[in-house]
Amino acid sequence: MKRFAGWTLASPATLLILLGLVAPVAATIYATFGTPGGPFATYQAFFSSGFRRTVLMRTITISLAVTVIALAVGFITAFVVSRAPGWLKSVLIIAAVFPLLTGVVVRSFAWLIILGKNGIVNSTLMNLGIISEPFQMLYTQGSVIVAMVYLFVPLMILTLVGVLEGIPDDLIQASSSLGAKPFATFMQVIFPLAVPGLIVGAVLVFTGSFTSYATPQLLGGEQVMVMGTLMHQQAMVTFDWVSASTIAAIMVVITIAIVLAMTKIARKLNPMAV
Amino acid sequence: MHKNLARTLALAISVGTLASAAPAMAQTKTLTISWWGFNGEKLESLVLAPFREQCGCEIVFETGNNGERLNKIQIRNGGGVDVAYFSDSFSQQGIELGLFQQIDQSKLPNLANIYEMAKDPQDGFGPAYTIGRVGIVYDSEAVTTPVTSWNDLWREDFKSSLSLPGITTTAGPMVVLKAGLYKGTDAFDDDTAAFEALSELKPNVVKNYNTGSEMINLFSTGEITASIAQDFTLAQIQAAKPSVVWADLEEGSIATLNTVNIPVGAAEPELAYEFINFILSDEIQQKLAEEGVDAPVNTNVKLTPEQASIWTYGADVIGSLERIHYGKMNAAKGGWVDRWNENFGM
Repeated sequence: MKRFAGWTLASPATLLILLGLVAPVAATIYATFGTPGGPFATYQAFFSSGFRRTVLMRTITISLAVTVIALAVGFITAFVVSRAPGWLKSVLIIAAVFPLLTGVVVRSFAWLIILGKNGIVNSTLMNLGIISEPFQMLYTQGSVIVAMVYLFVPLMILTLVGVLEGIPDDLIQASSSLGAKPFATFMQVIFPLAVPGLIVGAVLVFTGSFTSYATPQLLGGEQVMVMGTLMHQQAMVTFDWVSASTIAAIMVVITIAIVLAMTKIARKLNPMAV
Repeated sequence: MHKNLARTLALAISVGTLASAAPAMAQTKTLTISWWGFNGEKLESLVLAPFREQCGCEIVFETGNNGERLNKIQIRNGGGVDVAYFSDSFSQQGIELGLFQQIDQSKLPNLANIYEMAKDPQDGFGPAYTIGRVGIVYDSEAVTTPVTSWNDLWREDFKSSLSLPGITTTAGPMVVLKAGLYKGTDAFDDDTAAFEALSELKPNVVKNYNTGSEMINLFSTGEITASIAQDFTLAQIQAAKPSVVWADLEEGSIATLNTVNIPVGAAEPELAYEFINFILSDEIQQKLAEEGVDAPVNTNVKLTPEQASIWTYGADVIGSLERIHYGKMNAAKGGWVDRWNENFGM
C-alpha cells in the first residue's frame, strides 16, 4: 500500500521527465535506425569517414583536457577557498562565480581579445622582446581549450568548495599529529574524501565541454571543428537531419560511457564515497 | 402561433447574421514574413509601417539565417510563412525542395521597372529585390601590392592573414569554383583540382567565417588583412577599419541576388503579391538605397555617387557581374562540404 502510494505520487513527475526529457532524445536516436541502407548505415557512414573520426577524437581530446585542467585548477582554488576565513571566503566565492554572470559568447569573445595577434599576450611578449612576430594562438585547439577551461572552472570550484568544506579540520589535524606529512595527508585523507565532488565536477565539465557549440565556433571555427559544430552544419546547412541525429546519438552514448567510467574510477578511489 | 414562429425565425436569422458578420468585421489579415532580421528598425519605418497602412493588415515575422529559416519552412512542408527572403543559393534549394510556388508576374506590375537579371532569376519563381556582389576586400595599409585577381589569394604575402567564407555560407561554394579556375578547370566538372588548390591556399587562411560580423571582427582585431566578402558588409568593415578597400578584380565580381518567394503553403498569397510588388516600387527601392539598407534593382532609382559607392548600382556594374548556376552548385555542394571540411578541419 505504501509502495503503491509512492508510485502514485511519483508518477506525474516521472511522466513529465519521460515525455519532456527522455522522449525527444529517444525519438532523435530512433530516427537514425530507419534509414534505407539498414539500421546501422548512418553509423557505418560516420565511422568510415576519416574526417568525422578526427572530429570525434578531437572533441573527446579537448573535453578530457578541459576536464583535467579544470580539476587541477578547480581543486587547488576550492581548497584555498574552503580553508579561508569567513569574509575572505565570501569574497573568493563571489570572484569565482563572477564570470558566470555574463554569457558564454561574451566570455569567449574576451579570449579573442586576449589571444589575438594584437592581443594582450602577443603585445606583452613582443614588448618584452621575447618574440619578434605575433604567435597565431586563435583558431587553434589550444585556444578552444583555454577558453573552455575558463568557462568551466567556476563550476568545478563551486562543486568542490561544498565537498571540501565538509572535511573536518580535526581529521587533518589528526593526520598531522599521527605523523603524516602534508602530501600524505592530502593523498590519504583529503583527496579520498573529495572524490564525490571531483566526480560530479568532472562529469559536469566533461559533458559541458563535449556538447559545447558557441566557444568552439568562435575560437575554432571550421579549423577546429568539434561534434557540436559538425552537428549544426549537418542540420542547418546540408539539411541532413539523419546525419545530425547520428552525431547526437554518438554523443549521448559517449557521454553515458564516460560518466559510467568516471563512477567506476571513483568507486575504486573511495568505495565509501560513491 | 404562426406569427410567433415567424418572429422567432426572423430573430434567429438576424442573430445568426450578426454573429457570422462579427468575426469578419473583427478579423484582420496577417502577413507572415520570413527574413534575416537585420536593419529591423529601418525596415520597420521604411517598409513595414507604410505597407501596414496600405494593406490594413498585421505583419508578423520569422527571423534567422538562411539555413535555419529554410529548415523551418521545409519541416512545415512549405507552410507557416507568406513571404520568404533568401539569398539565391538558398532559395534555389527551396525551389528544388518544392517549397515555393510559381509566381504570376501579372500580379507584380512593378517588375516592369527592375533589371532583367532580377526579374526572374530562377525560372518562374520569386524576383530579386536587391543585387549584391561577392569579391575580395583587403587592408590597403597592410597589403602593399593591390589585389587585382582572384588568383592573388594564393600569394605568399597573404600567409596566415586571410579569411574565407565557410562552405556553409552563400559565398563559400564560390571559393571552390575560384579554386578550380586557379588550376584552370571548372570545379563542376573536376573538383579534385579545385580542392588541390584549396589545400595550397590553406596556409594563408586564419579562419573561415560564418557571419559577416565575424569577418568584420577579424579585420578589426588585426587577425586578417584580406577576405572574400559580400559588398553589403563593406560599409561596416570600413567603419571598423577605414583602410579596407574593395578589390577591382580583372575577372569581375560574382552576382548575389536576394530573392523574395511565396511558399507553397502561404495562407495569404494575394497579400504576399501585394507586399512583393510594394518592395519593388520606385519609392521603397529609392528609400532603402538612400538609407543604406539594400542596393536597388529598380532602374528608376537615382543615387548620388556617394550614395551609390557602397552598392552594386547601375546597368554597367550589374551587367559586368558573373552569375553562378545554383542548380549545379547545390547538386555539387553536398560532396564539397565534406571535402572542404577535410581540407580545413583536419
